Amino acid sequence: MKTNFENTNWKLQILGDHALVFSLEEKMSEAIIEKIMALKKSIETFHFDFIKELIPSYHTLTLVYDIDLFYQNEIASKHNHSLTHFGNALLTAFKSAAADIELVNSIKKIKTNNNLIEKNSSTAIEKIIRIPVCYDELLGIDLENIVSKNKISIEEIIKIHTEETYLVYCLGFLPGFAYMGKINELIQIARHASPRKEVQAGSVGIAGMQTGIYPMNSPGGWQIIGRTPIKIFDKDPSILGKLEAGNRIQFYSISFSEFEKLNEYK
Amino acid sequence: MAIQIIKKGIADTIQDKGRYGYQHLGIQANGYLDYQSARLANYIVNNPINAPVFEIHFPASSFSFTQAHTICISGANFVPLLNEKSIALNTPIEVKQNDVLQFLKPLQGRVAYVAIQGKIKEEAWLNSHSYFAKSIQKDAQFEWEASEQPLFNSSNQLQVYEGKTTTIQEIQSHVFSTAPLQFITGPAWNDLTERSQKAFLSTEYHIGRQANRMGYPLKGALLQLNKPNQYLSAAVTRGTLQLLPNGELMVLMADHQTIGGYANLGQIILVDLPRLAQVSNQTSIHFRETTIDTAHKLYQQIEKKFIHRS
Repeated sequence: MKTNFENTNWKLQILGDHALVFSLEEKMSEAIIEKIMALKKSIETFHFDFIKELIPSYHTLTLVYDIDLFYQNEIASKHNHSLTHFGNALLTAFKSAAADIELVNSIKKIKTNNNLIEKNSSTAIEKIIRIPVCYDELLGIDLENIVSKNKISIEEIIKIHTEETYLVYCLGFLPGFAYMGKINELIQIARHASPRKEVQAGSVGIAGMQTGIYPMNSPGGWQIIGRTPIKIFDKDPSILGKLEAGNRIQFYSISFSEFEKLNEYK
Repeated sequence: MAIQIIKKGIADTIQDKGRYGYQHLGIQANGYLDYQSARLANYIVNNPINAPVFEIHFPASSFSFTQAHTICISGANFVPLLNEKSIALNTPIEVKQNDVLQFLKPLQGRVAYVAIQGKIKEEAWLNSHSYFAKSIQKDAQFEWEASEQPLFNSSNQLQVYEGKTTTIQEIQSHVFSTAPLQFITGPAWNDLTERSQKAFLSTEYHIGRQANRMGYPLKGALLQLNKPNQYLSAAVTRGTLQLLPNGELMVLMADHQTIGGYANLGQIILVDLPRLAQVSNQTSIHFRETTIDTAHKLYQQIEKKFIHRS
């Protein structure tokens, strides 16, 4: 019996002399980022000292390694000192473990469809993180822009932006900046042609089919529709980023006075 | 008891090997632009080789010492002056209370390192002292605990291992060699037109004026893809050769963002990044393709040079 995981075409490539990339089809897809996160978790269980980073992003997982520590590890000689060989072994280990889970799930849920089995086989999707946003025009400085370009009311923008849950596909640009999607076509809008010199921390923006939150004051080109009073990134090592790839989040609308009460940026 | 900044430089920071393990949260690695020269400075004053050092760009900061220290300057030659008198690079230098260290002009290279023997008294953030974004401001003070390990004997003679002299020469000649920079082709290399691949491998490039710790723009032949320059963002590394929409190249350096959505043509290998870091705007550079095996061998050869040899 062929399972979904066996059918998945993983590609393994070296990235320069200190990284490897595992990749799937180049697509922004929930099923793909879930598999990427599942592979990340699988590799983490081995606790290799030479792995410095595991960076997920959409359809790729990048493994950054320490060259010296790799060669010092006995795993290196087991794999002919070849990173590609080692990477393929990680994939094989992951696929067989994933196939086991799938087999169990398919026996348990014979009646359910493939989609559900894929969800159950993944450990990456956790509870929904709810994030308050004040969509007042004083904070959502580009709302008017979307109203005129997309022929939609502010109330509809808020309703659409808050009614769906979004998946975090990667973090980047700034510490804690999460790229989330996909947002409804009706509120999609291209980023500003030239970025603003400074966007306020907590600002919630839209760029194409994605939505995101500025964790700190920064230059930025996303269309700003509101602001969250919650700090999504903190330098305190016990906090750091509140969002990670694979997280599912949902925004909810709050009033300006609630925003002031909750404001962690003061 | 401190090292004090009496004049602010344009982009000086404290750097060590950088912070790893947080890029999945969007936190950049940072770290030395030229790890070989930075390590050399530490090596010469008997510090752990990955210890924090001052990374100096020109125009540079000026320093005043409120206590005696042993220091070493490596990397670029900005003509360092101690109390208005020139001092040597790659040599332990004893500084006394109230001594002033300045840098006169850029003679060779673009990044210098000042190692202070001993230990910085400052808390690390996520296992690293590396600065990101902001540079050292005027009047900033840095506490440094001098180490007990003497570098000079009783008659004030410098004790240098003979092997150290060889290491200094070898690292210096590597860092400032003009041989082509070696890279390994990346995921978008085959999306380049054949003509662009040839142009990249055969023509000369220069570093653009906007070069900074995030990236070095390259001026030279514009390159073209045979498809739109639009990729789903994926992790990039230091040394990534990114093709920008206008056909220009950008090499990502120590403060690079964690992910990027432009064509990833390849990555310059680790041992050659210090060489790129030190290239002046006037020097022409060339690129040569290499393999991961060669890159790893070269990397290990350099690592071995920092082990004491007698």
